[in-house]
Amino acid sequence: MRKNVAIIGGGQTHHAARRHDVNQVELVNEAVRAALADAQMTIDEIDSVLFGNMEFFEGCHMTDCWLVDGSGAYGKPGLKITTGGTVGATIVGAGVHHVASGLFNKALCVGFEKQEEGDTGAILSGVAHPLFGRSLAGAAVGYFAMMATSYMAAWGAKEEHSAMVAVKARQNARKNEYAHLKLDISIQDALNSRMLSYPIRMLDMCPASNGACAMILADEKTARDRCAKPVWIRAMDTAHNEQFELDWRDVTTKKPIFSRVSASRLYRKLGVDDPSKYFDVFEIYEPATWAEMVWYEDLALCRPGDGFKLVENNMTAIDGPIPVNPSGGVLSTNCIGASAMLRIWEAALQIRGDAGGHQVVSKDIRRALATAYGGTNWTVLTALSGTMDD
Amino acid sequence: MSERVAIVGVAQTVFSPKRPDVNYAELAYEAISLVLESTGLSVEADIDNAVSCSHDIWDGQTISNIGITDVIGGHLRNEEKLAMDGSTAVYYATIGILSGEFDCTLALAHTKMSQTNRNIVNNTAFDPIYSRLLGLDFTSAAALQAQRFMSRYNISEKQIAEVVIKNLANATRNPWVHNKGFYTLDQALDSPVISSPIRKMDIAPDSDGAVAIVMASEKKALKVTDKPVWIKGVGACYDAHYLGDRDLSECYALRSAAEQAYRMAEIDHPRDEIDLVELGDEFSYQELLWLEGLGICGSGEAADLTCRGFTSFDGALPVNPSGGLLAGVPTNVAGLNRVAEAALQIRGEAGDRQVGDVRIAVAQGHSGFCGQHQCVIVLGRE
Amino acid sequence: MKSAKDNVELISIPMVVDVPYRFAAGKYMTRFLTELRDNGKFYGIRCPLCNRVQLPPRIVCAVCHVKNSDWIELGNEGTLVGFTIMYLPLTDPTTGKPHEPPFAYGSVRLDGSDSVIDHFLNVEPVVEHIRIGMRMKVALKEREDRVGDLGDILHFDPVT
Repeated sequence: MRKNVAIIGGGQTHHAARRHDVNQVELVNEAVRAALADAQMTIDEIDSVLFGNMEFFEGCHMTDCWLVDGSGAYGKPGLKITTGGTVGATIVGAGVHHVASGLFNKALCVGFEKQEEGDTGAILSGVAHPLFGRSLAGAAVGYFAMMATSYMAAWGAKEEHSAMVAVKARQNARKNEYAHLKLDISIQDALNSRMLSYPIRMLDMCPASNGACAMILADEKTARDRCAKPVWIRAMDTAHNEQFELDWRDVTTKKPIFSRVSASRLYRKLGVDDPSKYFDVFEIYEPATWAEMVWYEDLALCRPGDGFKLVENNMTAIDGPIPVNPSGGVLSTNCIGASAMLRIWEAALQIRGDAGGHQVVSKDIRRALATAYGGTNWTVLTALSGTMDD
Repeated sequence: MSERVAIVGVAQTVFSPKRPDVNYAELAYEAISLVLESTGLSVEADIDNAVSCSHDIWDGQTISNIGITDVIGGHLRNEEKLAMDGSTAVYYATIGILSGEFDCTLALAHTKMSQTNRNIVNNTAFDPIYSRLLGLDFTSAAALQAQRFMSRYNISEKQIAEVVIKNLANATRNPWVHNKGFYTLDQALDSPVISSPIRKMDIAPDSDGAVAIVMASEKKALKVTDKPVWIKGVGACYDAHYLGDRDLSECYALRSAAEQAYRMAEIDHPRDEIDLVELGDEFSYQELLWLEGLGICGSGEAADLTCRGFTSFDGALPVNPSGGLLAGVPTNVAGLNRVAEAALQIRGEAGDRQVGDVRIAVAQGHSGFCGQHQCVIVLGRE
Repeated sequence: MKSAKDNVELISIPMVVDVPYRFAAGKYMTRFLTELRDNGKFYGIRCPLCNRVQLPPRIVCAVCHVKNSDWIELGNEGTLVGFTIMYLPLTDPTTGKPHEPPFAYGSVRLDGSDSVIDHFLNVEPVVEHIRIGMRMKVALKEREDRVGDLGDILHFDPVT
């Protein structure tokens, strides 16, 4: 990257299952105003607006065009980016490219989803090829169920382990004022929740949320002049996986796959030997409990097959040595087009020390890693730091 | 721009009304494999990332860049999709290369308009609460814009028809397009009215096709080709969504996008400095309106300019010598095809449609009805 | 954020967006579906560089970035690599109607293929009856009922 880029402000909505009180324009505008207020900036100062969501989830073609009043893009350069679940992070990457190009100093990144306005299950089944598998596609639930049966058969994990992840997420969410599912649940509650697709139960899956996230990225001079606590984007990496080979459902695969390839590239860029020590906190995109345990392994926080043991030993709890998703993660809030950006924004808040009730206090947070997940196994990884010195 | 970015390769499929023999991945691969072959580049060794333009609703697939991941070289690599006109792929690829993150980018746009219904698809681009229930589509919205434009500047249907006659005649020189011929004014004016004042011949016809372009940093470009086409300037801008918020005879967003691009390219007098324009004439009147937005002439003057032959194939400033979108180029692919045509002209490789020596060319693309989002690319030989 | 208790009337507009499509199967899938319909056979396609046999057949090997070339006849038996029992009446996007739960479905690697294919499993939807690694056999519709889409496969039966 030719120039250093920092997050100088951000904001999010209070995420919820029902937001009939606002239309899509108004929902997006809540996050944009929060981000501008956080950066102490007006929309007039923004050079470019990068916007995205799950295309057509709300039954609208070209949402960027309708939502110009909410996003602030009217009269400005901007782009609509859509890469599925990863889009929130892809937009941030686009913001980084815009600022690093030297053509723009302040880029506003906006991601949103108003899931209540469409049929997410049916549309997600549309991810499958129209002539190969679409008629029996099981949306995201069926896919993660197959990952789970594979994980249990391969490593000996039990349903209790996924329940532990489910509980950790919702208990953390209770500390996060913006989270959607703030549930005071026990492991037994998770194990008793309704079976959706064996072994995935209701509490093993992310909710369908309405919400938005916005962030302002700036060049080094603007960041230093205008922001008391800039958070620097140190490196990003994107890896998509091929269309028909859904490799994450066979957890024993030895093939180079998106998550591991992307992590190793990112670690090489930064000179990371042990990510569990290099990064102080992780915000990962886990649409299902089992995905969180696989992420631990693919991010090399532990050896393959040991992911469930991290949970068992409370290693990834908010006060554990490797805090993962103190915000409650995607399991507590999934407004898809915003979800990957929320991971980055939550990671930035931890570095700033501004996460409020879910701030990690057991250790000093200097560096964070955020992951995105979407498509047919795609990811975008973002490494953040409070300083430019590492 | 301190660093420079160039187009180093261009390829397009034949554009035809219907390609039932291929799915959209296979269609895209026709253009991708051609551009790789012609540049001698390989995905593995040379291409750092890909930027594609398409829409889920046109492709009929959720996250429709899933369908092109394999053919664009996206596996375990970076591919980003813009749900916008193809011109924005060039805009964003330029920014990506200038950022220093990428050295060489593959840009793609594809659409198979034949697999669905443009009126239904385009109706869903209107906000669902206020405008969609009126049943508007891009043609009826364009009719409102055309009517406003024509009445404000006293432009006649005959003047608009001159655009159709010019572009369809130009298209006879273009082997890639399917809607072409030498028509008389009477024939154009006899074409059935679809949404007055727009007639069938005023509308870019449904088409299937794809365009692929390779772009590179200066260092990489000079290794790949001895005929790089330099990106001199880029610009983009959104206008308001609600038609009632806009004076449809103005092109506020295009003026802003053009101003950004010209400033970067150090163009002070577009009419004198630009040798060729390829623009998005999705509807014939738009060629006139966009020429005004591009600063080629004053408001309301483009019709007269066109009738005087200024924009003709052998005129002072040829506009759409390829035949433009009216010749049959798919939506979304539209703007990338404009850039491709402009690049071919600069390289002197436009075949029978080569207009002579082109040093500076402008390509324009737009997304949304009545050109809500505008993108301008200035290309040059030096 | 206001909620319903503020007692303000909130209007929401119901709408069904119905977009018709006709998808071209393309060169590779057409041959696959034709063989399936006419001869009840499965064909994969092999990459000339890495030799992996891909199902469904597709134009490019995404790993090697080369055009796939060699058609390979696959067995109609394979091994179960993943499964689930679905309790949700998920909407079938090709019909708009829900599938009746619970039902078992899984991923089967057909003999000779490096890819897996997903379909219903004709087993009682009880976890104890399904095991990763079990052998499965394709059951097709009768020839006269096959139309050339994946619905020509009824399900997978366990090999006993």
